[in-house]
Amino acid sequence: MSSTPHILVIDDEPQILRAIRTILTEKQFRVTTASRGEEGLTLAATTQPDLIILDLGLPDMDGVQVCMRLREWTQIPIIILSVRDSERDKVAALDMGADDYLTKPFGIEELLARVRVGLRHSASRKGEASQVVNAGPITVDLAWHIVKRGDEQVKLTGREYKLLAYLAANHGRVLTHQSLLTHVWGPEDADHTEYLRVYMRQLRKKLEADPERPQYILTEPGIGYRFIADG
Amino acid sequence: MASRKSQDFAFCPWYELPTNTMQAGRATDFSTGPKGIMNSATMWNSPFLSRIWRYVLSFILIALVTVIFFTLRDVLETTLIALLYLLPLGTITALWGLGPGITSALITFLTFNYFFIEPYYTFTVHRPTDVVILVVFLIVAVVISQLMARAQAGLAAATAREREATQLYELSTALTGLHDVHAIAQILAKQVHAVAGSEYVELDITGAQPLAYRLPELNLPTRPPELTVPIEAARGVLGEIRLWRAAPAISSSEKRLFQTFTSQGALALERTWLAQAESRARVLEESDRLKSAILSSVSHELRTPLSTIKAAASSLRGKEVSWDSPARAELVAAIDDEADHLNLLVGNLLDMSRIESGALKPKREWNILSEIVGSVLARMRHLAEGHQVEVDVPENLPLVPMDYVQMEQVFTNLLSNSLKYAPVNTVVRIHAEVDDESLHVQVSNHGPQVPPEHLERIFDKFYRLTAADRVAGTGLGLSICKGIIEAHGGHIWAENLPDGLAFNFTLPRTWDGAKPPQLPMDPETE
Repeated sequence: MSSTPHILVIDDEPQILRAIRTILTEKQFRVTTASRGEEGLTLAATTQPDLIILDLGLPDMDGVQVCMRLREWTQIPIIILSVRDSERDKVAALDMGADDYLTKPFGIEELLARVRVGLRHSASRKGEASQVVNAGPITVDLAWHIVKRGDEQVKLTGREYKLLAYLAANHGRVLTHQSLLTHVWGPEDADHTEYLRVYMRQLRKKLEADPERPQYILTEPGIGYRFIADG
Repeated sequence: MASRKSQDFAFCPWYELPTNTMQAGRATDFSTGPKGIMNSATMWNSPFLSRIWRYVLSFILIALVTVIFFTLRDVLETTLIALLYLLPLGTITALWGLGPGITSALITFLTFNYFFIEPYYTFTVHRPTDVVILVVFLIVAVVISQLMARAQAGLAAATAREREATQLYELSTALTGLHDVHAIAQILAKQVHAVAGSEYVELDITGAQPLAYRLPELNLPTRPPELTVPIEAARGVLGEIRLWRAAPAISSSEKRLFQTFTSQGALALERTWLAQAESRARVLEESDRLKSAILSSVSHELRTPLSTIKAAASSLRGKEVSWDSPARAELVAAIDDEADHLNLLVGNLLDMSRIESGALKPKREWNILSEIVGSVLARMRHLAEGHQVEVDVPENLPLVPMDYVQMEQVFTNLLSNSLKYAPVNTVVRIHAEVDDESLHVQVSNHGPQVPPEHLERIFDKFYRLTAADRVAGTGLGLSICKGIIEAHGGHIWAENLPDGLAFNFTLPRTWDGAKPPQLPMDPETE
């Protein structure tokens, strides 16, 4: 595989394809496009891209379906594109294994940021995962279970640490309510978003400078949470 | 609402039928009895028997009186006896009618002749004066009987007319003010059923929404109905009423009464139809007016950012703007901002149409208000730079059931409205508190006050106090807030403050009666 990352874009709107291809090519990515779900699945299998950008509204099949079919055989990072007001589909695709999402219309910096996070995670999956995550003054040491703010160690409860560690290990990615709840509390509590609301408030109080206007632990309305780390 | 009510009616139209109405109207005359063989049980109650009894009682009375007179025959004069005989005759006619009256008169005539006119125990008369007495007696007896019977009939007719009038009055009172076809059909069928004392009544309404109504709800008899009355109105036949009553046969006056009933029903149905047509027309007119308002507002609002984008993009494409000029950055920023504005506009239109069609269903979860306010403020950072936003939300505010995304929208709209109208560098304040039942939020600013008569109307679609081109916006923000808050079971209103304007809303603290959940215990500190 060459050093330029290869991105497969699956979207049925030619204008979007044109814009994304132009911008990504400009940014030194290799881009392949598909306008139908089946075509996208075939291209994914034959060209082995490093990342897939997938539109949820495809003419021949549901984007969530495409996501599921891809996850049957590959862990390639998938970024979902969707229009506003389809939180349900977005969440379904994310729970189905998609890595991130972007709501149309989106800014290009946003797209590039998501692509970078996606590529980094696929790299860390292959190689060594970083053991220490830095976010401004916050340091999360995943190996030693130590959380620091500046030079001071922050006391966290068991659940709080588990939650923060999961967020930090997946920094930059959106994590759905269901995935957070299942991972930290267990599948039987997957509906209790109120747990998350309360624990996120506690975490923010302990870690953020202004808990009401968080900089590192961000809410993704209707979807979940995202931890923003440096780099 | 109204349509849902009538739907309920359609599903169970029988549920409130009083069973005692079945016999309520049975007090009509018994003059026409059925013919043929009857078993003893029906004979005991039948009008046939009571008619026989009238004659039997008449004869007994005459016989009794005759015995008394016979013992006094030597004391009383013949003429006086004749006169006294008129008493039982009058009584008989008054009590039991013309038939027994005339028959008794003839019998009395013969008895009188036999027992009281010499020679006794014969039907022969010797004295001419006795002949006169007999003839006069017969005439007087018959005339009294007839007069009495006529008075009786008149009285009965008057009573019947009065009853008819009462029944009609009851029907028209019951039908007054009804605007629901199902209710009208039900009342009409019930009244006909009650008044006729019928076995079955079926009411059929044809047309766009056909409707069949049966009393009682059992299967209808297979024989054809005894009476069928069409429900006729100015716009044609609306349906018909079918009535089954084998006995007593339906008289012509009853038939007339039912026709009057049905024409009352037809009038009520027609009134309903007209009212519906009128309200349909009003709704159409309103939606027409709204559509043109939407179109004019939307085309204006869409064109403004589009023109900016078009102008900026085309000048960037051309050779007018050099690559490194500061103007280039400005043009690019304009395209970016205006595209966001367009996106907001389309989003608002979408929300509005979902609110209008009732598709906006809050996905409620137990949420923390300050988190919602925080993420809105983070997103609106740039817009709020010119103002001081003060957040006064208590730390220990309990969890409240609300849709996170929709409530974000509410705060975004209320804040952007405040930021748009309040002077630069003033304070915009978000205050929240709870009482036992609800969460109360106030977003206040030092912007211009709203005339009291407009305080409610600012939540209307496309309602603006200022001319559309002076302040950018869709004219939908506040009405979307109203839609969302009301879908949450809350209430939103605006109020003038001494130094500005405030938007207030309340949300219920319980979720279908449920209180906030308790969190499980946390494992100990790491």
